[in-house]
Amino acid sequence: MYRPILLVPQETRHSATLAGVPETDSTSHSRAADAEADLALHGSAPQRFNRGLKLGFPILLGYMPVGMAFGVLARTIGFSVFEAVFCSATAIAGAGQFIALSLLGSGATAFTTIVATAVVNLRYLLFSTTMSPYLHDASRPQQAWLAFTLTDETFAVNIADRREGLSTAASMAGVGAVAWTGWVLGTAIGAAGAGWIGDPSRWGVEFAMPAMFSALFVALAEDRKHVAVGALAGALVLLMPLLAQVVPIPQGWFVVVASLVASAAATAVFRDA
Amino acid sequence: MPEISQTTIWTVIIGMAVTNFVIRATPIAVLSRRTLPAPVLRWLSFVPISVMGALVTSEVLRPGGQWQPPLTNPGFYAAILTALVFRYTRSFLGATLVGIVSYVALRAVIG
Repeated sequence: MYRPILLVPQETRHSATLAGVPETDSTSHSRAADAEADLALHGSAPQRFNRGLKLGFPILLGYMPVGMAFGVLARTIGFSVFEAVFCSATAIAGAGQFIALSLLGSGATAFTTIVATAVVNLRYLLFSTTMSPYLHDASRPQQAWLAFTLTDETFAVNIADRREGLSTAASMAGVGAVAWTGWVLGTAIGAAGAGWIGDPSRWGVEFAMPAMFSALFVALAEDRKHVAVGALAGALVLLMPLLAQVVPIPQGWFVVVASLVASAAATAVFRDA
Repeated sequence: MPEISQTTIWTVIIGMAVTNFVIRATPIAVLSRRTLPAPVLRWLSFVPISVMGALVTSEVLRPGGQWQPPLTNPGFYAAILTALVFRYTRSFLGATLVGIVSYVALRAVIG
């Protein structure tokens, strides 16, 4: 069941870390955490939005190189710089956009391309459903922005932050904004500099996403049950290529199917959760 | 490569934008204002950890859909290091940067 919002005790709420207190002291650590919780829950909307920007910054690092790759590729199949950037700015769908390029490049119709990318993005139905109980108090425009910027990474960061009891609609909007910026900026750089940009992978930036997922896994693991469920989903996703030989499951669905099966199994087994 | 018409490009851009938004917004719009039954909530509470377990395994051990055995896979060790750094620092940015740097270093040695 969801952890309730973490309430900071009144007496510690205003004892922000004093300058000069050594950070290695465990008390100052918890005070710093209290100060962060205070800002996260009681700060002004711009303060909470800024906190979201910082929280989502690793997403920007991960999206820029992938966005650049999309920009370069889009130019080679005939998109203008403006079209490539407009596409990223309105779709924000990593895998979906790459599939669209490859289908268009092989002569598919617009209709086929749209349907194929929609299928790849059906996993967002699951993410959006999971987010919905958390957005009870968000206004409709806030919900629209959060839905628009919902990706694997923003979903994971916001859910992990919610588990800490710190996320608000404003912080989630900040996470979405920084992710969107990274994706669009990367696309713009890639599309504009398509001719002279080398292979961004030599900087190891393609590992930014897996590294983030690894940290987020730890952030989301509340107890041993969670670790077991996550490990089960990981094992299932590795078995998907075998299963796909029997039942036709497209590769884009492996993560969704493994997650659905693992979480359903956990719901059936851990009845006291 | 066949010439792709401007009409096709713009139809795809607008079509993707609309379908993506509808897919992402519909569950939030429909479900956020009502209370879901307890078993559904319990199921949803296991979804994020499952998704993350599946994503990290798939990205590290099957990057780009190709199986990469763990023992000779720089990403495998870098991912474990990233998880440990996050566990002890609780910093996403710090853990992600350590992950990238260690990945590049390991790739130079065993990649």
